[in-house]
Formats: sequence, structure tokens, C-alpha cells
Amino acid sequence: MTDTAIEAAALGKRFRRRGRQALDSCTFRLPTGVVCAVVGPNGAGKSTLLALAAGLTTPTEGTLTILGGTPSEARERLAYVAQDKPLHPQLTVGETLRLGRELNPRVWDAAVAERVVAGGELDPDARISTLSGGQRSRVALALALGKRPALLLLDEPMADLDPLARHQLMGMLLADAAERGTTVVMSSHVVAELEGSCDHLLLLGAGRIRLSGPLDDLLAAHTLVTGPATGDLGPHTVVESRTTGRQLTALVRPRGPVGGDWGTAEPSLEELVLSHLRSPEAPELRLDAPEEAAV
Amino acid sequence: MTAVTVPARSGRLHGLTWAMFRLHRSALWFWVMLVAVAAGALLWAYGPGVTAAEEVYRKLGCGQGLCGTSDTAFQRYELAATVGSGLLTVAPVLIAAWAGGSLIGRELEQGTARLAWTQSVTPVRWLAAKLAVPAALITAGTLLLTLLHRLLWSADGTLRAATGTRDWYDSVAFTANGTLATAYALLALAVGALAGLLTRRTTAGLGVGVLGLLTLTVAVSELRPRLWPTETVTGTTGYPAIGGAFVDEGALTSTGARVQDPLCIDDAQCLADHDIVGFYRDYHPSSHFWPLQLVETGIVLAVTALAVLAAFQLLRRRTT
Repeated sequence: MTDTAIEAAALGKRFRRRGRQALDSCTFRLPTGVVCAVVGPNGAGKSTLLALAAGLTTPTEGTLTILGGTPSEARERLAYVAQDKPLHPQLTVGETLRLGRELNPRVWDAAVAERVVAGGELDPDARISTLSGGQRSRVALALALGKRPALLLLDEPMADLDPLARHQLMGMLLADAAERGTTVVMSSHVVAELEGSCDHLLLLGAGRIRLSGPLDDLLAAHTLVTGPATGDLGPHTVVESRTTGRQLTALVRPRGPVGGDWGTAEPSLEELVLSHLRSPEAPELRLDAPEEAAV
Repeated sequence: MTAVTVPARSGRLHGLTWAMFRLHRSALWFWVMLVAVAAGALLWAYGPGVTAAEEVYRKLGCGQGLCGTSDTAFQRYELAATVGSGLLTVAPVLIAAWAGGSLIGRELEQGTARLAWTQSVTPVRWLAAKLAVPAALITAGTLLLTLLHRLLWSADGTLRAATGTRDWYDSVAFTANGTLATAYALLALAVGALAGLLTRRTTAGLGVGVLGLLTLTVAVSELRPRLWPTETVTGTTGYPAIGGAFVDEGALTSTGARVQDPLCIDDAQCLADHDIVGFYRDYHPSSHFWPLQLVETGIVLAVTALAVLAAFQLLRRRTT
């Protein structure tokens, strides 16, 4: 059994129709058991990355290893919920779960799926076409969790959900994942909704990896500094700096202690992400050790 | 792993087959209804329809090919036979539209295909089920209607002779009386599915599916007279009578060469000037029914196989 959930090596995907490079030489490694947020602006390649991991499309360059094999080999052990939560509108909730059982005969856990549906007080005889967005998301998640996946891929899972449903579903999802050691990868362009729920970050910008690694390590590797506009940040890597009047605020990757007159603070996840998105020129930072080096 | 194995219940549908029947239940009922209506019409025509019409003509005592077609009993028989053979003829168009639109196009457009592919079902198995289940039901339905049409054909011979309607080589009767009705229905399924995969849209898949099918149908039908060597009859003074499907005609010179008829119309000098010594007609006698039928069926099934192959290739190239 491998301890790597996803490993990408120089992964690239170009869409022939649009001629656009959706993903460009992405290299990262995601250990098993983490809850990873894939963050980036719209069009950064988040959905493409998840679709590649789910074996729904093929990369045009590089390789992607899922749970030690190809995405296709991992099909039975991964679950994927697309952004628009596609379900068959003519089926009832109960029939949708039956579909999950029929199409996953070896791994289906009906009790889990039924519990997820029951948690939303959904009538099993209600047609999918009559459900609200939140209810549909719940059914889609029930279908994914009923498969008892080792890797759960969620593309913008919480978009179009009201705050209450978001809180409920996320709580249920994370509790289930923690209990079973499921690796969860979820994408979002709303950073706030991920804060507190993930321990790993993958920041994508224009199809490239900008940041990857354990969230705590990434935050610890950056410092938010404030000081006079004339100050010198010396050897440190400056991700972004902004001057307001005579005051300078910068996000740096310190090399050695930040001395002098600088006031320092640890950045929040949102500050870390936004600074990197505002400065496309900032160098990439990978704190996910390759598998060989992992203990 | 706490994987729970669901025992396959004997005697019930399961897996992808269950999914196919459930997801396309309305299409299944529509097909059952269409086959039932066509079968009912053909059976009625075969029984009371033919009997009543023949009774009328027997009383009238009109000669072969001279009996009018305005009689009510005959028109009822004709309507029933037309409904039966007509539904069998339009079935491929409906099948292509359904396969391009509802079966494949809509699933790709709405993303439900991806839903299936991220269960424990590979895209290739998904497409195989999408094609195999309808193919079995389509074959059963069209073969049943073909057999009923042949039954009617065996019974209404005198009626057709009396009124001079519906020859064996008429396109509708020719298709409905043999393996071609089934072959074209299967071609429609394959072409529709390919169109759905190409367009990934419901409406576009439907349109391209129907257009593709009609184009192929017209192209193959154009070939039909040339699919088996014709019989030739010749005459010295005018065109000889033929008993079958006309293919070609023209004039013959003294060397036996086939030339265009100079249209001399009994003008001996004109005929001599053009060196015309006779006239010929190429045709297919009714004994050519099965050779023509089987060669065309082979071609249609080969095109069907190519479309299926292309569909699988396309899907495999796009997904893993």
C-alpha cells in the first residue's frame, strides 16, 4: 500500500478546442489521509486537475499516479463529485442510491449512503428534479460516500449551498473522512470556506502550481512584515509588497531572522493565497517532500 | 476495508443493465408501443383486412392490375399495411435521433456520463451497455415486425396483383421483407451514438445522428441495383417486357455494343443510320431478392461496425 494519494510529475493538459494550456508542468505529491484544498482563481486549472485525477480525461503531458496506479486502475477506490453535481433528474433519491449500488457492486455501503440522505430528511421517493441545490449536493455526496472511497475528489463542493447546508455537509464529510482516513481533495475559489477544514494546500495559478504542501508549513514559511517604505528586506524572498504612504507591508519568505525595525506576523491563509495570486511572478514553493524522502 | 458486498439477486436485472432499463424506461415503453401498434396493424391486415378487400374484388370480378384502389375495404387494408411497414421504415430515424440525443448526447451534456464513469464502471463498459441493451431490444422488435410483414406478404399476393400496388422491389416493402429493416435500425443506433459522442450535446447529437443516418441510407440505397449482377432481356423491334425491378435500358448496335437510344420511333432509316439492331433492358427478377437483400445487409452491418469502432476509439482517446 502506498502512502501517496496523488503524485503528479510534469503534468500538463492542453485543450485542443481552445488551444489553451489548462495545466502546465505541475509536479506535486499528496500523502494519504490529508484534507487538501485546491485553491486558485477561476480558470486556474482546478477542475481540470480533479477531472484528470478522477480518470475522466487524459493528460497531454506528464504522468499522474493515483493511489499507486493509473487513475483508471483506481476507479473503484476513488469518488468524484463534479461541480454541477450531475444526477439523473428522472430518478428518485432511492433509485439514485440503487444506481450507486448497481454500479459499485463490490464496494457499496448502503447504510452509509442512506445515513447521509436521511441526515437531510430527504424523502427516498422524491424525484431528483424536485430537489433544491443543497438537497442535490447531499444526494451527490451520499453517492460518493456510499462508495467508501480511499480518495474523495470534490470540485467546488460547497458552491451554490446556503451557509447552513454548507456547515452541515462539510461537518459530516470531514467527520467521515477523519474516521476512515479518507484522503479528501476539494477545490474552491472561495478561500474562506476552506479555512479550518484542510491541512494541506495546493495553490494553482494559470495552470501552474504556486504553492503546495502542509498548510502549517506553508504558513510558517511566510512572514507578514510591516515597516518604513524605505526599509530593506535584504536576503528574503519578497512575494508581494505594498506601500501605503510611508508604510510598507510585504509577504516574505524569510531567509534567516527578520531583524531591524520590521514588525512581523504570521499571515492568514487568505493573506497567503491572495498575495500569491496578486503576484504571478512570485516563485513557486513546494513543501511536499517527494515520496523517496518521506519518512 | 468494510466493503459490503451486495448479493446479485437472481432473476432480476442488475448492474449496468438495470441502469439502462431504469434510465431509459420511457424510451423502452415508446419502443414497445411502436412495435405493438405496427404488429397489430400488420396482423389485422393479414387477417380481416386482406379477407374483406379480396371479397370486394371477387364480387367486382375486375382483372389483374385493373381493380380500383378507391374501395373502402381495400383502403383499410392498405392503411394497416402502410402503418405496419411505415413504422418499420421510420424506426431507424427515431432510433438515430434517440441515440444521438437522449442515449449519449444528453448524458455528456448534463455530466451524468461522468457520474457513471466515476462509479466502478469504465467508460468502455458504459458505452458497451449503452449499445448492447438497445441493440438487443431493437433487433427483437424489428425481426418480429419483419416476420409479420412477410406473413402479410405471403397472404396478400392476389390483392397486390389485382390492384398493381406494392411490388417486391419497392423500397419500403424490400426493406420490410428481409434483414435490411434490422440492419438499418442497428446502423441508426451506432450512427446516433457516434453523433452523440462527437457533439456531446443533446440537440446537436440528435440532429447529426439523423442527418448522418439519412446520408448513409441514401448512399447505400443508390448502390442497391448494382449490388448483384442484373438479368438482361433483348428485343429486335422494341423494348421487351420485364418481370421485376428495372435497372437500365438502351439500344444495341450490330456489333452488340450498348448505345443510347437515338429515339427513332419506328423510323427504319433512322435506325439504320445509327446501326440499331435491337433494344435491351437490365432488371432484377424476384429471385434476386435474397442476394440483393443479403449483400446490402452485409454493407450496412459493416458500416455499423465501423461506426461502433469509431465510437469506442473516440471514447477511449478522451478518457482513460
